[in-house]
Formats: sequence, structure tokens, C-alpha cells
Amino acid sequence: MNLELQINGETARVEAGQHDTLLTVLRDQLQLQAAKRGCNQGVCGVCTVQVDGWPARACLSLAHGCAGAQVRTLEGLHHTPAMQALQRAFTEAGAFQCGFCTPGMLVAAEALLAREPAPDAAAVKAALSGNLCRCTGYLKIVEAVQAAAAALRQGASA
Amino acid sequence: MALTGYHRPATVDEAVALLAADAEAKPIAGGATLVAMLNARVIEPPALVSLAGIAELQGLSAAAGGGVRIGAFTRHRDTAASPLLVGTLAVVRDAAGQIANATVRNMGTIGGSIAFADPGLDYPPALVAAGAEVEIAGPDGRRRVPAAGFFIDWYTTALQPGEIVIAVHLPPADALGTGLYVKHARVAGDYATASVAICRRADCAVSVAVGGCGPAPLASAEANALLSAGTGDDIIARAGALLQALADPLDDVRGSADYRRALIPRLLQRALRQAEAAPEARA
Repeated sequence: MNLELQINGETARVEAGQHDTLLTVLRDQLQLQAAKRGCNQGVCGVCTVQVDGWPARACLSLAHGCAGAQVRTLEGLHHTPAMQALQRAFTEAGAFQCGFCTPGMLVAAEALLAREPAPDAAAVKAALSGNLCRCTGYLKIVEAVQAAAAALRQGASA
Repeated sequence: MALTGYHRPATVDEAVALLAADAEAKPIAGGATLVAMLNARVIEPPALVSLAGIAELQGLSAAAGGGVRIGAFTRHRDTAASPLLVGTLAVVRDAAGQIANATVRNMGTIGGSIAFADPGLDYPPALVAAGAEVEIAGPDGRRRVPAAGFFIDWYTTALQPGEIVIAVHLPPADALGTGLYVKHARVAGDYATASVAICRRADCAVSVAVGGCGPAPLASAEANALLSAGTGDDIIARAGALLQALADPLDDVRGSADYRRALIPRLLQRALRQAEAAPEARA
């Protein structure tokens, strides 16, 4: 084990060559498989994780480049109020068809809601513009993110 | 001496020394392009020298003479949100905000972007229009190159083997002027099919550069002089024709060469009308 990473708040010891990506380490060594390997060239967004709170492509992040950073995957975000609201809203809005893009959408949307409690549709689209849904179910995804934001605001004021 | 593995130097001098140790070693910044090439096995460098740990390369700062310095490792996200890039220099902020998508803007850096020099990138025309200089460090020390001389050919810059980009230096803004970037792409987040970057000073002096229409950004002193003297439709058409004559576009999936040439005067017109309508220009 030649590399220490901070994944979901815990120290993970992994073995990584200089070309190995964070995605490879997450999926193949740490069995964290919410982030998917889609295009593996930074286009599709299904491998989205948060690095120091910002959405990033796990497939374009070298494992060694993440040393010292706080990495959060979907597995490590499911306790946050924003993620719980998002998961509920996605279910209620039917914001999936095949579901393959969903993990990346959720991780990117969680980072948005952590910064912007009341994003308009344009802000949601901008934040998710790096996440492709090949079923083209974008409308319901945008609606679900806005519904989650509204539910969070209501919860905060209640 | 062969260098292997992943290195994270803390200073520019250390990075330059590491790269000098092995011609096959590659510097890596945000990784947005280089890691995709690694994944596709297009390149397999034995050693990577990360520039992430070098404090000197981080962030934007106001320069002593009134300009702005953008460290090479500054992410597109930070450049796109910088309050330092006002007036004519807003052209660089505007271009940064139109690169790829929000997630990639969290990763990619200005130094990595311009060192790659894809002809469809957004920074090159913006930096040429703004009159930027690129600061370079290498085994023979440091030097500065005007942006217009930095982009040389397809994916080819003034960087010599072993050299890295340290910073982009922008001249003082005309705070009452306007800078903006008009990009034409097939879909949001794609590389530009063609693009126009424009800086228009309060005294109406105009500097434009065209992206996506040749190996390097197109700029013409004659076109700038025409557009600085007037912005009627006939003048824009003449300036557009001058820029079209410099174009050497590719036929590719983003558009034919003829289509790209046809876009130049139209995007130029759009950019000028937007610049004239910008709040600063009306003030």
C-alpha cells in the first residue's frame, strides 16, 4: 500500500501506480461502486465524486493527485440532509429511466444544494451540465433537484 | 537519468529540475485532458510531475502595474468568478465560464489548457484579444511570450522541451470598456466550432481574435483598426473578410471548413453588438 487517501471521512490505504485514477481505486480496491465507469474520458459524468466539496470526475482524477484531499462518494453522502431530500425527490418525481446516470446526478446536485439553497432551473441545469442522461430524462431531474431544495428550505424553517 | 512514478514538487525550480531529468516525464496540472489521454493509452509517460503543490502557480492576483496575474494552476471555476477580471478583461472571465461544464471547470487549469492548445479551446482567442503574456519557466530560466506568439500551430506552442507555463499576465483593464466571448458550439459544453473574443475600450478601440478557425487564434491589426474607427455593418463585413482570409479551418465533426469561415463575420457582428449593448459601454 503506497498511498493514503481520505475517502468518506476515513483514511484508506491503497496501492496505486502513477497512471491509476481515483475511479479505479474506488471501484477495484475499495469496493465503492456507486461511481460508475462510463466513458472513462470525462464526458459522461457518471463517475462524479466530490473533492473538497466540489464535483469532480473520478475518471480524470489521478489517485495520487487526491492525496491530502477530502473525497466523498455517493456512499459517503447518503447521511446529508440534502442527499436524503434529493433521493426522496428523485423517487417522487420519477427522475430516472434506466438509472445509470443517477449516482453522478445525485453527487453533483448535492454539491449544488450545499452552496445554493434556492437554485433556479438555469442554475440546476448549469450545475448538472456535465452529467449526461442518455434516456434524456432531464426535465424530471431538474424538477426533482428544485423540489429537494424546496423541501430542505421548508424543513429548515419548520 | 530515468524518472518514474508520481512527483509533487513544492517549487517551480524543483518541477523544472524533475522534468529536466527525463525527457519522457510529463507535467500534469488539472488532468482534465492528460488523464483522458492516459486512460485511452494515447500516452504512457513513465513519470508524472504534478504542479498542484506549487504555491506560486495558484490563483489570481492584482499586479503592481495595474494588470492581473493568473497563476498557471488556477482552475477555470476561479477565473470564471474572479472580481479582478472587469471591463475589457472580462473577456477572459467570460471565456473561462464557457469552458466545458461546471464539473470540468472545477478541475481544469489555465496553464494546462493553453499548453495543450487545442484549436477549439476558449482561452486562446480571449488571451490574444486581451493582449496577454504567457510566463514560462524552463531549464534556461524564465521568459515571457505574447499570447499571439505563444500559439504556433496545431497543438503546438512556444513551449520548448522541459518548459512549463507559470502564469498568464493580463494588461491593466479599461474598467469602462467591455470584454466578452461569443462561442458557437454544437451543444453546451463542446469545444468551439468557431468563436470570437472581443475587447472594446471606452474610447472605442477594439481588439478581436477568432478561435476554432485554424491552428492558432486569428487576429488582424487591420481588422482591429477598421473596427476601432466604426462598427457599421459594412465595416464589420470588411473586418470579417480580413479575418476569413487568415483562416485555415479543419473539416471535422464540429463543422466543415466553409461553415467555420462563414461563421466568422456573423460571430464578429454578434460580439460587437453585444459589446456595444453592454452596461459599461452605455455608462
